[in-house]
Amino acid sequence: MKELIEYIARSLVDDPAQVEVRSVNSGSSTNLRLKVAKEDMGRVIGRNGRVANAMRILLKVAAARENKRTHLDIVDPE
Amino acid sequence: MSEQRAMLEVIAPTVEEATAKGIAELGIREEDVNIEVLDEGSRGLLGLGGRQARVRLTVKGSQEDESAAPTDSSSPDSVDEDADNALAIARETVSELLEKMGINAEVSAHHGESDNPNYNPPIIVDISGKDLSILIGRRAETLNSLQFITRLIVGKEIGRGTHIVVDVEGYRVRRERTLRDLARRMAEQAIATGRRQKLEPMPPNERRIIHLELQEDPSVTTESIDQDPRRKVTISPVDT
Repeated sequence: MKELIEYIARSLVDDPAQVEVRSVNSGSSTNLRLKVAKEDMGRVIGRNGRVANAMRILLKVAAARENKRTHLDIVDPE
Repeated sequence: MSEQRAMLEVIAPTVEEATAKGIAELGIREEDVNIEVLDEGSRGLLGLGGRQARVRLTVKGSQEDESAAPTDSSSPDSVDEDADNALAIARETVSELLEKMGINAEVSAHHGESDNPNYNPPIIVDISGKDLSILIGRRAETLNSLQFITRLIVGKEIGRGTHIVVDVEGYRVRRERTLRDLARRMAEQAIATGRRQKLEPMPPNERRIIHLELQEDPSVTTESIDQDPRRKVTISPVDT
C-alpha cells in the first residue's frame, strides 16, 4: 500500500527525492502520510482534489486485498 | 479497391484466429491491414460462458481519401516511434500500478481508432485476468481512477497529454454497446412521447458516447444538464 502511493507520487512530482510516505498501523487500519516538496503539492492533490481522490480509490483496492482499512493524508511540508 | 472491402470485422474464438480469418477473406497480406482488437474475448467470467474475440481489419490507405483532415506527414517514422514509445510506457505504468495494488493480471496495449481525425488515436490498455470486478468499482469509479492516474503518469513521462483508455475484460466495450442501445431506445421514447427524456447521471466519457450516438439523428437533440457528479444527458424530440 505504501509502495503504491510512493510510486504514484514519485511519478507525478518534479522532485521525487522529497517524496516520503509514512505508514502508521493502528489495529486493522493503516494510516499513510504523504509528504512532498511544497512546489509539488498541487501535483499530488490536483484540481478539486482529483489526484488525491484517485489515489485514495486505488489505495482502497490495495487495502482490501490485505483485508485492511486505510486512510491517506497529504501533509503540509514545513 | 471497393468501399465495402476496406474494412472488415471478424469474430472468432481467439484474436489470432479472427485476424487470420479476416486476412484470408480480404485476400491481402497482414502488412497491408491495420488490426484493431475490439474485444479480446474471454474464457468466461464466473463461469457465465466466454465471449468470442472481435477484430477490425482496415486496409491501409483506404480511409485517406475520405478524411480530408490535415495530418502531419512530415516525419511519419518519428511519429510512429513516439507513439510506440507511449504505448510501451502506458502498458508498463498500468502493470506497475496493478502490481503495487496486489492485483495479478495480464496487461496489453494497442492503438485504438480515433473518432476524431484531428486527434491522435487513443492508446488502449487492456487488463485481463480472474476476479477483476474489484478493478471496475461502482459506476466504474475504480477503473476511471486507474485510467486518470495512468494518463497523468504517462503524460508526465513523455511530456505531453495522451489519450489513454484503460479497460478491464472488455468492460468499456460492453458498456459502450449498452449505452448506444440505451441512447437509441430513449430517443425512440422521446419521439413517441414528444417529451424530453432524462438519463441517469454518468461520467463524461459515457455522456459523450450518448451524444455521439445521436448526433446524426435529425429527429432528436441531446444536451447535458446539472453539475457533476449528477450531470446527465437529456434527449429531446425535434418538432417537425
